[in-house]
Amino acid sequence: MDILLQVLANGLMLGGLFAIVSVGLTLIFGIVKVVNFAHGEFLMIGMYGTYLVTKALGLHPFVAVIVVVPVLFILGALTQRLLIQPLMASGDDHIQIFATVGLSTALINLALLVFGADIANTPPNGLRMPIEIGPVRVLLGQVVILAAAVVLVVGLHLFLSRTQTGRAIRAVAQNRAAAELMGINVRQIYALTFGIGAACVGVASVLIAPLYPTSPNSGTYFVLTAFVVVVLGGLGSIGGAFAGALLIGLIDSVAGFYIGSDMREVAVFGVFLLILILRPSGLFGARLQLAHVSP
Amino acid sequence: MTTAIKTTTLMPAAAPARPRRETIALALLLAALLAVPVLLDNAFVYHVFVTICVFAALSTAWNIVGGFTGQLSLGHGIFYGIGAYAGVILASLGITPWLGMFVGAGVAVVVAVAISYPCFRLRGPFFSLATIAFLEVFRVLALHFRDLTGGATGLMIPLKIGVEWMVFREKLPPLAIAFGMLLCTLLVAWAVRWRRLGYYLVATRERASAAQAAGVDTVRVRLIAVALSGALTAMVGTFHAMYLTFIEPAAMFSLTLSIQIAMFALIGGIGTVFGPLLGAVLLVPVTELARGWLGAKALGLHGLVYGLVLMLVVLFMPNGLMGLVSRFVRPKAGRGVQAAAVPAAPAAAARPPIGDEIMRVEGLQKHFGGLHVTNDVGFTLREGEILGLIGPNGAGKTTVFNMVSGFLKPDSGTVSVRGPDGTWRQPVSPADFAGLGVGRTFQIVQPFAAMTVEENIMVGAFHRHADPREAREVARETGIRMGLGPWLDAEARGLTIGGFKRLEVARVMAMRPRVLLLDEVMAGINQTDVRRAIDLMLSIRDSGVSIIAIEHVMQAVMSLSDRVIVLNSGRIIAQGRPQDVVRDPTVIEAYLGKEFAHAHA
Repeated sequence: MDILLQVLANGLMLGGLFAIVSVGLTLIFGIVKVVNFAHGEFLMIGMYGTYLVTKALGLHPFVAVIVVVPVLFILGALTQRLLIQPLMASGDDHIQIFATVGLSTALINLALLVFGADIANTPPNGLRMPIEIGPVRVLLGQVVILAAAVVLVVGLHLFLSRTQTGRAIRAVAQNRAAAELMGINVRQIYALTFGIGAACVGVASVLIAPLYPTSPNSGTYFVLTAFVVVVLGGLGSIGGAFAGALLIGLIDSVAGFYIGSDMREVAVFGVFLLILILRPSGLFGARLQLAHVSP
Repeated sequence: MTTAIKTTTLMPAAAPARPRRETIALALLLAALLAVPVLLDNAFVYHVFVTICVFAALSTAWNIVGGFTGQLSLGHGIFYGIGAYAGVILASLGITPWLGMFVGAGVAVVVAVAISYPCFRLRGPFFSLATIAFLEVFRVLALHFRDLTGGATGLMIPLKIGVEWMVFREKLPPLAIAFGMLLCTLLVAWAVRWRRLGYYLVATRERASAAQAAGVDTVRVRLIAVALSGALTAMVGTFHAMYLTFIEPAAMFSLTLSIQIAMFALIGGIGTVFGPLLGAVLLVPVTELARGWLGAKALGLHGLVYGLVLMLVVLFMPNGLMGLVSRFVRPKAGRGVQAAAVPAAPAAAARPPIGDEIMRVEGLQKHFGGLHVTNDVGFTLREGEILGLIGPNGAGKTTVFNMVSGFLKPDSGTVSVRGPDGTWRQPVSPADFAGLGVGRTFQIVQPFAAMTVEENIMVGAFHRHADPREAREVARETGIRMGLGPWLDAEARGLTIGGFKRLEVARVMAMRPRVLLLDEVMAGINQTDVRRAIDLMLSIRDSGVSIIAIEHVMQAVMSLSDRVIVLNSGRIIAQGRPQDVVRDPTVIEAYLGKEFAHAHA
């Protein structure tokens, strides 16, 4: 019984991790309607940034948030402005896919060139300390991630529903032309959204770096699961992505324990493919939201 | 019309005539792939050229799916890995890779079809994501089943030298095999592209629904494409494994490799037959030279270059190198033919009498959510008859059309069509309807934008003529008859709205339909064109085709229709001769409201 509880607790923690990585991806997909294949590399850059700041200044890794988040916001906004925006008119799917795949390839290899293939370990500063909650043990850093994920999801929800800018962002997502006619600067909204999405993954990277080793491929490792979460959560629904992340975390943990740790990915991707094929609008998505499925 | 046929027989090539210079350049390029290493006689040069041939072949095979059908697979490593593992595992059991590659190809075909069938419902990035996920699953499985694959430690090929093992001491034979495979792949890709299958694939990519209306079984043609592509990729994978002498899951089921394959095609010119070759020839040496000269120092350098090139290409030349080449080499579109008004077919001498029933529609019902869009609609159509379908906006006319052409399944009710052999059938899919000779146009025109006008019409003509030459002839003839003669060689996207409407009709006419469903082909075209379109429809009718026409242009409805059906709010409110129907008070009320109807009562 205790083992099961521990497995579930691990799954929940993992879910928090997936949630915080996926929030930005979901936001960008939901509003700009672009699948950012370079999302994982944004995460990787943030993790290196955290590593460098912590190493250089000897401060707590969380302090790096002051540097990493603005840098990623700018990186995201620039990506939208310089790479995605010029391609939005073409309407060709393959062009947009190749654009972000190209960005992802370039960033991975740039990291390889600059940092080499060696693993960089950010000092954990006590975040790897286990804490006991009833019968289960989890790491302090994991609890922080889960809490931060909740705060981020709630915060984004409030931002999108309560502020003028948030309403403008949602209007653009629902009908770009109509929003433009109402005087909303769509280009600006897109750049802002992309920036916020990247900033979210910046927050994630600062929290993740102390717990996981950083390497040029770190992003790929997390982001494939993040894609699963986004699809599961109903494509652009932030709350759905959060629920999807927890579910995937649990599946990952349970499958890892009961089937074998090397088969975790098969379980996760198996679920993903089933959902994608059987219920392409996602577990929590609205039934009518079928923009990505041919009639 | 006879002159048109003569001109086409002068150029009977299935593929559009390729300027001589391009053919020579291609031959030179291919020859250089063999000649350069032989002349330089350097082991490294040989290696670079083998790698070029392998990647060019992989990329060409990928392009059959990624380019022709537009399904952007980022998981082609699956097939490459299957070929590699099949070859090496069988070789270690004493079976020659020459046989092993066909086993690998067989497995790849099964896997390709099994994976693609459900995934073809997904569009754009989601298809790509699904292929990546499958690739990951395969990699993890290859790691897991170590008894078979050696797991993470990988597999060495058995060290048996000789032609039968595809392992050589000399440098030339591997190059010869790789080159041979490249040639085969190019030939397959070329044959696919310029046969009916290729036109069908491109049509499906451009507009799936229009392709279905032209009788294309869109799922089947795409499955054939992935099967071909997967088999070719697996065979190249077998050879490459034997050449590399060592395989491991991370290198075989690799996302990087899968992206590279796709990237060469994009950079060379996605969807063109020879673009992938060009992309590989240009970029593979960059990788290999970076590795050879800079070694470990340059870790990541070639990848960085790839990524940057990829972004620059999508931003500044999305059609790739081939797009660039054709911009300079190709003559300007249009053949300088005078855009003289081509008269519609001469009025037929006599109208054949209206024949037996050919289509029977009974009790159609359709709900969209709580909205009852079709309520107990039933009618019959007789041979050689023109049936007008009118009604105010939102009456449900197009919904009825979608149900009598297989695009929408009715909640209840039946649509029966009398086949050419006289038996009544109840077709289900658009392809079934097309097979029985029911052709349709779309209210919102659906051209295959990337094809020429002639090729657009050819997609329809293929329905009855599998041979591209015949289809091209029929297409030209039909196009000229529809007054599209001057634009036959121009890209369809450049037509005017009137041109698009005529193209819709031309494409369906090239199918030689028995029943023609026309959805507002006269909306938005000028008076002269309306008169011409009326003449055209009459001549189509007189050739024995039955027509159902949705139309708002009353002049056309009145002069064309033998009978008129009036739909309002999903139900038939009147039917009969056109003169009677327009005087029917319920019809006037439906169009103009109660007060108007009362005022005139």
